Amino acid sequence: METQPLIVERTLAAPVSKIWQALTDNEKMKKWYFQLENFEARVGFEFEFVGQGRKGEKYLHKCRVTAVEFQKKLSYTWAYENYPGSSEVSFELFPEGDSTLVRITHSGLETMPDSPDFAISSFTEGWTYILGTSLKQFVEEV
Amino acid sequence: MRRDVFQAIADPTRREIINMLANRQLNLNAVAENFNISRPAVSKHIRILTECGLITIQHQGRERYCKANLKKLKQVADWAAQYRSFWNSKLDALENFLNEEQTNNL
Repeated sequence: METQPLIVERTLAAPVSKIWQALTDNEKMKKWYFQLENFEARVGFEFEFVGQGRKGEKYLHKCRVTAVEFQKKLSYTWAYENYPGSSEVSFELFPEGDSTLVRITHSGLETMPDSPDFAISSFTEGWTYILGTSLKQFVEEV
Repeated sequence: MRRDVFQAIADPTRREIINMLANRQLNLNAVAENFNISRPAVSKHIRILTECGLITIQHQGRERYCKANLKKLKQVADWAAQYRSFWNSKLDALENFLNEEQTNNL
């Protein structure tokens, strides 16, 4: 049984060029994403930002760019300071006429035990096996 | 050692046991016969699954039957759902930003 990453997709009514700018131009990122000091879409670039938890707690996110394909794909590692583990987030853009399918893939979540915002104490390899099996339907119906 | 639903599904043998029990109760021998590992090793996995609350053992005469308690797995689905909702909220924000940008450029 394989583990699967979390995938969230949406079609947005804008061309890939506009969305790529929104993902990589820090002035634009500030308006919808997070407040970064700097951002450069190049492999190896490291950045961090403070994200807020549900109870108002602040968590320092630490990220490093791992893949850049102009107007197609942007990936970076995603970890929390003072917590073990590291996951990876990828944004992929697929043109659909004047619109764009945006696919966010968050993999390696299972490496991040005791992630700050989750009450559950820990998680491990195998958590996503639920997401791709008949059990998924079962747990959603419960 | 940790005893929660995430620990329970961390091991492929245990995931296989859960799948076997998902639709039917089986007695312990029937579970063990499915695996090429020692009987004590199977027993250990069963014990961990029991301690994590994912299966219960019922005695029926001299037989011991295993039954899955799949509701426990909802914890895992709920956990994943939090990340899903986080990224969905970011996509909402991106969508709003793109709409505003377009309005400003008209």
